[in-house]
Amino acid sequence: MSSRGNILTGKFIFVLVLLVSFGTGARLLAQQQDANKPADFFEMSIEELMEVQVVVSAARQAQKIEELSVPVSVITAEDIHYSGLTNIPELLQFTPGMDVLKIERYRFAAGVRGLHEFISDRTLVLINGRSAESPLFGGSEYYTLPILMEDIERIEVVRGPGGAAWGANALNGVINIITKKPEDVLGVFASTTMTEFGDSYTHLRWAEKQGKWSWRLSAGYEDLKNSDDAGAGEYVSNTTATVNTLMGFSSFTADDFMRNSRFDTEAQYDYSNRTRISFGTGYSHTEVGDREWGGYYPGGTGWYETVRSYTKLEHEFDNGNTGYLQWFGNYANSDVETLMKWNWMQNDIEGQLNFTAADVHNVTIGGNVRFIRLDTNTKMETSQQLNYIGSPFDEQFAGAFLIDRWTLSDRLTLEGQIRTDYYSETQTDWANRLTALYAMDKQKDHIFRLSFAKAFRTPFVSPRKVWTSRVPLPSPPYPAGLYAFNVRPSDDLENEEIYSLEAGYTAKLAKNLTLRADTYYQRFEKLIGYTKTYVGSIPYHKADNIDGADSWGAELELALQGKIGKLSAWYAYNDFQEDVSQQGVRAYLPAKHKVGLTGRLFLSDGWTFNTNYKYMSTNRTLGLDTTILDAGPSHHIDLGLAKQFAKGNGEFMIGVSDMLNKTNGPYFGLGQLSAHEVPGRMLFARLQLKF
Amino acid sequence: MRIRAYKLIVLVLALFVTPFVPKARADSTVSREYQVKAAFLYNFMNFVDWPEEKSSDSNEPIIVGIIGSDPFGGAFEPVKNKKVKGKNVVIRRFEGLKEQKESDENDQEIEAIRECHVLFICRSEEKKLKKTINLVKENNVLTVSDIEGFPEAGGIINFVMEDQKVRFEINVTAAKRAKVKIRSQLLRLAKRVVEEEPSDEAKS
Repeated sequence: MSSRGNILTGKFIFVLVLLVSFGTGARLLAQQQDANKPADFFEMSIEELMEVQVVVSAARQAQKIEELSVPVSVITAEDIHYSGLTNIPELLQFTPGMDVLKIERYRFAAGVRGLHEFISDRTLVLINGRSAESPLFGGSEYYTLPILMEDIERIEVVRGPGGAAWGANALNGVINIITKKPEDVLGVFASTTMTEFGDSYTHLRWAEKQGKWSWRLSAGYEDLKNSDDAGAGEYVSNTTATVNTLMGFSSFTADDFMRNSRFDTEAQYDYSNRTRISFGTGYSHTEVGDREWGGYYPGGTGWYETVRSYTKLEHEFDNGNTGYLQWFGNYANSDVETLMKWNWMQNDIEGQLNFTAADVHNVTIGGNVRFIRLDTNTKMETSQQLNYIGSPFDEQFAGAFLIDRWTLSDRLTLEGQIRTDYYSETQTDWANRLTALYAMDKQKDHIFRLSFAKAFRTPFVSPRKVWTSRVPLPSPPYPAGLYAFNVRPSDDLENEEIYSLEAGYTAKLAKNLTLRADTYYQRFEKLIGYTKTYVGSIPYHKADNIDGADSWGAELELALQGKIGKLSAWYAYNDFQEDVSQQGVRAYLPAKHKVGLTGRLFLSDGWTFNTNYKYMSTNRTLGLDTTILDAGPSHHIDLGLAKQFAKGNGEFMIGVSDMLNKTNGPYFGLGQLSAHEVPGRMLFARLQLKF
Repeated sequence: MRIRAYKLIVLVLALFVTPFVPKARADSTVSREYQVKAAFLYNFMNFVDWPEEKSSDSNEPIIVGIIGSDPFGGAFEPVKNKKVKGKNVVIRRFEGLKEQKESDENDQEIEAIRECHVLFICRSEEKKLKKTINLVKENNVLTVSDIEGFPEAGGIINFVMEDQKVRFEINVTAAKRAKVKIRSQLLRLAKRVVEEEPSDEAKS
């Protein structure tokens, strides 16, 4: 057998050993009812019923969290509230298997099981199931989203391919941000957070219900000072002294401030007990300081505008079937001097029907069509802006999916998901997920899962069409018109693919004590990276489906939750081996070892103590020139203490985030020739009032 | 090789789908919520003691009434074969008060409502909430709902959602008035225990 074959065999044994070890601890008991049937709930005590939590991101409809076809972690509103954090990626880092690096004060690289970058385009981000990714670059710029932290009901983090449920681009995971419904937050709410650096985050909300109508209006303002003003900002370069001189490296400053105004509205009309219409619009305007990319640093201010609107009609039919029709439109308009001007518009129409067939099949069918127009404004204002050949672009997506949860016996449930997506610019492709769930005891305290999944990632405009030359070379000695940094279009890119074999085990070990263990082996094919060719001594980069990779690992999570608080601990081992040594995959690879701990204690007299801890071993990536960029290991601790007053209508909180590190980084992103450190330890105070 | 794999997958999925005859069963977030709430209602009966006059005949079933537009669908199907305190459980559904002869105290429908041990008041009855509660306040009925402001209107147990989980609050004053005894085990699990007399502002 070849050495490669031996490696693969070893990885399968790794998966199987974990699989068997999880199964050994499980009890084999009597027959039971299917979890989806109401009868299950009637077997539960009140305490157990109070812990029933529903998750929608695994199969597009509500399911019990311990009986999903793919591992999902849930960050609850309570987790968000007591963290005191004011951005989503920093919250995500405390989730098992998540890799998060803070690149700038407002910008993060966040990916499920690694593959994180400025543009983490292998993880699909959704808001209430609606796309929140850029059709230009892929991935999501969290800081531009018109969403406020205390408006989030929960964040569901799907680990593993999610393409069969959510379509193209849910390659390695899905992050679904679910917002609070107006009727759950009635009244007036005000919150403001201040930090020792002079940052602020303010949120005002009004929610009301009158008759069949309910609505929520939120507005917020965020102001982040730049790293230089926050005691950090030291710049480093990973290129040559000659290029440093050419790009003016010595004059760089860490001007990574951000100012953001956000508005978000949602309204619901209950036409009847079975029919609901909801609609909403969100808007954000963001100003950011400039940065270096590809050796070019103009020192100006960039801005982003984002609008997200939707209308959704949900109905429950007389026979119990349910379904919805939905339109959503996303619009973005941006001008970032370092890069380019662009605007784009997405219009998406989607429908879904849920029904039960032959008593044992719980089926979801549906589909969507999406129309996209992108204008990258090729009128160059500086010679070094990015140019996209062929702009404007009109693109179309169409997808159809079928999900069937089949109760094969009292113990065994199979779930099949299959989806196909058409993309006008590249190709039609398929995704699927086949899962067997086996409950080992009557109470369903021990559930075993085995899954196979396939998903894909579609290359959007950016890697296919970009044309840029930056950092002019002096003439002489070079001929006139040559540049040190060059990227050329690549119009023959194919989809990236992933094949995944997974095993999982969930257990209720005691009252309020749960264990979750998941292990996986994944095979990536046709990963897109950048190849470099030389014309003379000048390098030219071009995106290409360069090669595949293997990935394997396990995540273990133990959680204890009760009336007095919460304690959860997790460990994740996420390994990734590219086929070719130093093969750049446009992203950081996952940290091999990650550890997380969350503790929350509800004390007397309205006091609450909260702490989050995360350890991450080193992250590794490759620059465009195949230089190995290493993020190094890190420990991260957040502490918070909150005190309620005025009968719970007010709360004051003080805390410190990233207590152990005065600064972090610098972390290099793809195409960056320089990077700067960002502040770490930060004291903050927050005041909240409800009326 | 890949084409063959897909053929296999398509075949497996076709086997899933072939025998389908669409049949009623809700599985939306809303209906699952009510499946859980139905199970809560079933559990509540074990932690509630009714006065002698309501529970003396061991052959009489425990009656659960649902008044208004029923959101439970088939969620109560499993209780057909179950007993609570040695008694069968019967589910009865009633139209809202709007459709009834409210002034006729002898109306059979109203009498049937008053015979219930548990009365779940659906959201469709929000405008008639106080009237519905008053209708049964002398009849030892455990009133339950998920209408905002239910305890303040004189209802006994109210469901509320928190972090996508079902929680409940209990108005012990209303329970005492109805002569329905709620055991301490249930009170301990409540998100909020209130001693609230019906307010004048409460929905009428």
